[in-house]
Amino acid sequence: MFDLEKAIADWRQQMLTAGIKTPVPLEELENHLREEIERQVKSGLTEQPALEISVRRIGQPEMLHREFKKSERTFMKRTLIILAGVFGVLVGMALLMPAAHLYKEQGMVHNAVVGFGWGIPIVLLGASTTFYGFNKRKA
Amino acid sequence: MIRKELVAASAEPLILSLLSNGESYGYAIIQEVKARSGGKLQWTDGMLYPVLHRMENRGLIKSRWGESETGRKRKYYSLKRDGKTAMAKHHEQWSLVHSVLAGLQKEQFV
Repeated sequence: MFDLEKAIADWRQQMLTAGIKTPVPLEELENHLREEIERQVKSGLTEQPALEISVRRIGQPEMLHREFKKSERTFMKRTLIILAGVFGVLVGMALLMPAAHLYKEQGMVHNAVVGFGWGIPIVLLGASTTFYGFNKRKA
Repeated sequence: MIRKELVAASAEPLILSLLSNGESYGYAIIQEVKARSGGKLQWTDGMLYPVLHRMENRGLIKSRWGESETGRKRKYYSLKRDGKTAMAKHHEQWSLVHSVLAGLQKEQFV
């Protein structure tokens, strides 16, 4: 006797083995599978062929995992670019602030010049990296 | 059947345009694309989800978990502002390709 719940549990196991994560996106894929099985059964199939067709339509676990991985990787890369940019702005500010303080107290002394000289380009570089990262996210 | 490359390239503009009619979920998106193309535009069902997730990561769409009429959990997607802008760009580009193609095709019959 065919047990639909057991067959779905087996399918879940195959997806997990291939590296598809739970709850997201596995729950979403399982909901899709159940909905497709339901539709096939309504159109006259028995549960077993309905499951087999639906599993085939969803696609191979390895192929799906590869695609999900691709989208995760691009997301990670962009997030890292943004974080590096923010870090650059913070480092630049850490140089600029004491330089500005020094300038106010003692005028344009050597250390203030060095602080401004490094701080300004680092802040600008950090800001443009952050900006690039945000725009890349939408591209 | 429409070629694989074209199916892949048209996924994003189709999803954006469908969602501009209101929020929807994966299964319904696939069914609607199938129905509107007379079954000629078919994705491997599961492949829609990585595309949806990528679009969500890029800030074009957003998602929320909800429930179907029968109580089943569903992830609904809807369009964000950047998604609307991206959709307008897609429409512009696809219209251009279409008009060039249609123009060339017309010349062949003259």
